[in-house]
Amino acid sequence: MKLQKLIILILSIFSLQIAFAQNQEIRGRVVDESNNGVAGVTVINAANNRAITATSDNGNFSISVPANTTLIFKAVGFNQRRVTVRANQTTINVQLSSTEDQVEEVVVRGYVARKKETTTGSSFTLGEKDLRDVPTANLEQLMQGKVPGLNVQVNTGAPGFRGSTQIRGLSTLTTTGSGSESILMPTSPLYVIDGVPMDADRASEFGLQQQGPGISPLSLIPPEDVQSIEILKDAQATSLYGSQGAYGVIIITTKRGNSPVPRINYTHSTFMKTPPKLRETLGGNLERQLKIWQIYNNARIQGEIDNIMNTPMLADSLNAFFNNSTNWQALYYQNTFNQNHNLSLDGGNEILSYKSNIGYYGETGVIKNTGFNRYSANLRMDYRPSKRFDFTGQVFAQLGKQNKGDGTGILQTGVSTGGMNSTLLPPPGFFNASADYISAIKTKNDNSSKLIRPYVEGKFEILPGLRLQSALSYEFASNNEDRFTPAAAAGQFSEVYSFAGRESNLYNRNIINYTRDFNEDHNIFINLFNEVRHNQRQNSITKQVRTPNDQFEGPLGYDGWFSRGGGILSNFRNEKALSFALATSYSYKSRYIVDLSYRIDGSSANGFENLYTKNPAIGVRWNAHHEEWIKSVPWINLASLRFTWGVNVMPTSSLERIYGKYDISGRYNQINGIGINYEFIPNPNLKPTTSMQYNAGLDLNLFNNKIEIIYDTYYKRVENLLFESFLSNSTGFDKLHSNDAGLANYGHELALNIRPLPAASAFNWTFSLNGAYNRDVLLQLPATFRGQFIKWDGGPDLLHSVNRVGTSALSNYLLQNVGVYATDADVPVDPTTGLRYRTSDGTFFQAGDPIFVDRNGDYILDQRDYARSGNTQPLWTGGMQNNFNYKNFQFSVYASYTAKRTILNYALAQRLDLFRNPFGQIIENGVITGNGGQSVVPVDDLDIWLQDGDIAKYPYPYDFSRNSSVRPFRYDQTLWEENGSYFKINNIIVAYVFDRDFLRRFKLDRFRIYASMDNVYTFSKYSGPNPENVTSLGRDASNGYPVPRSYTLGFNISF
Amino acid sequence: MKISNNIRLLCVILSSYSLFSACSDMYGLPEDRDFISDKIDYTNKILEPILGRTTVFTSMVEDNSTLPMKFEIVNARYGDGRPVTDIFTKAPTYEWIQEYDGLEKSIAEIEAKRKLVEKPIFEVDSNGRLILWASANNKNLKPRPVDTVLKTQDIRFFDIKVQNSGGTQIIKDFQLIPWTQRDYYPDTDINPYTGGKAPDPQRPKDTTRQDYIIPSSLTNVIGERTQLPLANNSIKKDVVVYIRPFSGGKGNSLRIKFLGADGKFINPVKFNQTKWDLLVHGFNKVMNPEYVQYDVAYPIPLSNIKTDYSNGGTAFFTINYSRIGFGGIRQVGQLSLNYRIYKKGDWEIVFHFRNENPKFEDD
Repeated sequence: MKLQKLIILILSIFSLQIAFAQNQEIRGRVVDESNNGVAGVTVINAANNRAITATSDNGNFSISVPANTTLIFKAVGFNQRRVTVRANQTTINVQLSSTEDQVEEVVVRGYVARKKETTTGSSFTLGEKDLRDVPTANLEQLMQGKVPGLNVQVNTGAPGFRGSTQIRGLSTLTTTGSGSESILMPTSPLYVIDGVPMDADRASEFGLQQQGPGISPLSLIPPEDVQSIEILKDAQATSLYGSQGAYGVIIITTKRGNSPVPRINYTHSTFMKTPPKLRETLGGNLERQLKIWQIYNNARIQGEIDNIMNTPMLADSLNAFFNNSTNWQALYYQNTFNQNHNLSLDGGNEILSYKSNIGYYGETGVIKNTGFNRYSANLRMDYRPSKRFDFTGQVFAQLGKQNKGDGTGILQTGVSTGGMNSTLLPPPGFFNASADYISAIKTKNDNSSKLIRPYVEGKFEILPGLRLQSALSYEFASNNEDRFTPAAAAGQFSEVYSFAGRESNLYNRNIINYTRDFNEDHNIFINLFNEVRHNQRQNSITKQVRTPNDQFEGPLGYDGWFSRGGGILSNFRNEKALSFALATSYSYKSRYIVDLSYRIDGSSANGFENLYTKNPAIGVRWNAHHEEWIKSVPWINLASLRFTWGVNVMPTSSLERIYGKYDISGRYNQINGIGINYEFIPNPNLKPTTSMQYNAGLDLNLFNNKIEIIYDTYYKRVENLLFESFLSNSTGFDKLHSNDAGLANYGHELALNIRPLPAASAFNWTFSLNGAYNRDVLLQLPATFRGQFIKWDGGPDLLHSVNRVGTSALSNYLLQNVGVYATDADVPVDPTTGLRYRTSDGTFFQAGDPIFVDRNGDYILDQRDYARSGNTQPLWTGGMQNNFNYKNFQFSVYASYTAKRTILNYALAQRLDLFRNPFGQIIENGVITGNGGQSVVPVDDLDIWLQDGDIAKYPYPYDFSRNSSVRPFRYDQTLWEENGSYFKINNIIVAYVFDRDFLRRFKLDRFRIYASMDNVYTFSKYSGPNPENVTSLGRDASNGYPVPRSYTLGFNISF
Repeated sequence: MKISNNIRLLCVILSSYSLFSACSDMYGLPEDRDFISDKIDYTNKILEPILGRTTVFTSMVEDNSTLPMKFEIVNARYGDGRPVTDIFTKAPTYEWIQEYDGLEKSIAEIEAKRKLVEKPIFEVDSNGRLILWASANNKNLKPRPVDTVLKTQDIRFFDIKVQNSGGTQIIKDFQLIPWTQRDYYPDTDINPYTGGKAPDPQRPKDTTRQDYIIPSSLTNVIGERTQLPLANNSIKKDVVVYIRPFSGGKGNSLRIKFLGADGKFINPVKFNQTKWDLLVHGFNKVMNPEYVQYDVAYPIPLSNIKTDYSNGGTAFFTINYSRIGFGGIRQVGQLSLNYRIYKKGDWEIVFHFRNENPKFEDD
């Protein structure tokens, strides 16, 4: 309501100011220096910077504008021209002069704007149009499939959380978590938002079991406020950003005021989110019958059949308590309706311009009791009193509120186990409800991330070509989480948990740069800058159990007995960093360009042995299209070759790793002693990780810019990777951090952009295709491992992983499953002892059991039978965009794909394992303590062994009696390995822009309506729910948050 | 001019193509090879098997080396450097084709599940298991010296070469010190060094006395003369067992006999509760007043699987009889034996009631 009033207020103020003007019809022609018509010239109204029309094939155009409007004529390869329409003028003929600089695209390098043509690094730019029409909490989701080499996996649907983002393959070997929850340590690129670097991984130190709100800082940026995003990929481009840029750099530029007439833009969308198809379940009597059938036909001893009598859920079918058919999943999942509002106001001229953007985004999760709301207000002001002085002030204020229910956000374990309850159990009612349900639905969870970031920047040109620039920003973020768990969900006593965290980042940058042309042909550019950073973070938690009751949530007194501790989390940080960088560039006639840069980074986290890291880079570029002999080839508009080399050095050390960790370790002579923590041995020689990259690229624009090709190939060598190795217990310490691991990534990236139809036709089609092939190879491990390291998983899932030199860096270490024994006679017999192949507890395999390859040939299945298998990282990623425009209609289809990746389908493993215990009794120390009971699912669609002679893929699931010995559905086997390739239609967008003349009657400048669908369909051979909704190690943990589909209706309106 | 431009263009395209396509070879990446650990070893490198039976040593520690690997016995030599060749002697031995399950109905059915193959008496198989086959006996592989003094020059040493595509490792200095053949178990009556009679543990120096095999259980067997339960302990041994070959059989027979204190054989029928058909996995049972005889397949048991005749490791049987004891209580007398016989032949198992016969009559 408030928002509507505000809109009306602002509307009424500005409608007074806009004077009514009579439109006049104007026809004209745009020609080049030799009087040939120029097609595809954009005609822009300078007052609001909006394109009105484009010229036809022979250069003609016709428009209808009020008198005294200034028009801008813009085309690739020509200098732009401004023309003001006089009263009663009916024709305008414009001659454009061609420019030497065919591509005037401007990019930012080292915080200074440069012409893209003169940069040697590899980068890719996305504009405003690539990001609109799909309301999303997270900006990264919109970049998926649009940038070659940027691998975005939307692997969680949790509102406010982010998936994984990688530029050019793997940069780490560190994994966190265990079992199906283990993930790769995120190595996200550095985000530079309007000139201020931001660490996107800041909420993810604890893997999936994270603490605190976990709201990704990227979720706080409203996509509507983004002008452009540039992705820097090679080391030449990123080296100026120093150690933080080792994983690539993404530069986000927000919109700024750019219209003499104040403009109001309002974007609204209403969207529905629907959960994906849920697991099919056999309900009620079907479940009971199946379980009883299973027991009768698979019991080995009489006692197992008799046990039915001890299981009232099965035996007492007439008891109303057990006579149910509850759809548990429906109790947790829902369709939701959500809204997104964004209002921006901008205006100004060359001297003073301003912008404000206010946004609200609300999303209720498809899992009940989860959701995310974003409130944002971004203000910007640019003041330019003279050509030599420039001043910018900007404030970002953002608030994210989130509800995680009883899960950790990405993981919703409670919902996942609750959804598998037996359908025979009664649904939650007035007198009775399962603890899982109460916990998931009634847990009160309140998270918020508040962020405010003022930014000021001043520029001054001391002498012609010599500029001084200084910027200062201070970011303050406060993160809180409060959780109240009601008594019924926590062992009859309510409990509270609280998280409080704050983070601040003081950032200052000073730049001095000089540019000069000599004799028209030579240009030099020198840029020297320094950066100062002070980053502080402190998070603490507290937990109290057995609080008085459900009605009293606080304030609570202190109780040492029921306090479950907490304290400051280990991601405490107080880092001071200082950097100096020098970038020089020389170009000869814009044809030959050499870039040299050098940066040193010092950080208080590095330790004195390696206080400063050094990041050199070199790049050359040849703009062949400026060569006279290429100019004579008419179909080449642009042809450039680029070669770069660069190094990014990133400290992986922390003071703890270098100097050891000291704890209060007991009392000695009445004095508290402080001693070293024996987990890690200090390693003062720990070196920073070095990432060296070669890049070769080719840019081609052909056939009058109808075809654009960007090709890059690279070789990235990451050395001195941090690697934990275990020490012999005689050293006293458990582990050593060494940095002798190294890996290489090499690959190719191609982006193709085709506009096959003539620029002037009413029907316009843009087709973009991009793909990246990346292969990672482990180069080296610490010498003690002699080329192989196995990370044993101590958890129940036994999901070990292996790193072996010369192979893909992260592979699974699994038992090889090659089918199912069709008959008992198929089980191999040891010729020496005459015994059948058996498990380590001596259970012989039989028909219907999985065939595990006996790698060591001792006819016993044990951990020596594991083998390296699969590649957890995708080899191919990319996407495809199709844009159709016909007059005022727009139709767009965006797709992305990932190919050649191994994923482990644990969703299926879990589904088949539901047959493990048909009684569902919870037995503790031989005493039946409860009736759990899990639902059963139809498995008719699967290729399952059912009787002697069946050649099947999946083992017999019903043999509950031997299940705990044979474990046919154990996680650590290749049966679950599937090809994780998918082709996903991310978005389909239909939009219509109303005619200007029509709109002018309503005093509107622009009105566009659109409908879109997000996460439309995934084509994949994967048999699990979603090949993308898996962890970064390719494990489909079924307790993850499903990725919803959304349907959107929305509009943009401008005054 | 036009032509030369195109040639220049072609040159540029070709050279840039060749640059870009120079793929992974250029990067000098390490090869994808198997992993072989330098910690690969055997936890037990001194092998002391007993001849005449198949012994499998599975103590290899691969340390996660990539399997399968190739194993080879190399540098077999005695402690003084003389080469060892006898361990490579070939001899026929049984290999299983199918699983023996104890349900076979005839000897032929059992024999169809295994085959005789000619192979070295000692070998390392493709999985690193060291196997001394049952075909190794006192004749083709000299056991350790009977005088119990083990000299280095009597020990057979060998190394094992392990290979996969990751490299080669040599595991050095295995020792093979076989014990002399003991054809049956329990073998408490055999001296393991000489193969002769085992001395009486009570008086080891007295060569006129010896140790005996005793039944695995002896309960409720009442002496005819003393009316006391028969017992085996360190002072007296009322019932002992002889496992010995006999002559005149078919070459694959097993007899069970009961020898009384008076030197006469007791009629097996007197052990009236015994399930004679389930005693051993044998066929063509012959019962007469002296013995019960079966045709069997050797070794007994055939494998370590649990069957009606075997408890998984050893074959076993129980001899029962019942009578009305003192006070009108029915007493079931029981004798049982866990045993193994490794060598094919005609064997008899004799229960010798040394001091008095069991009482079969009711009280």
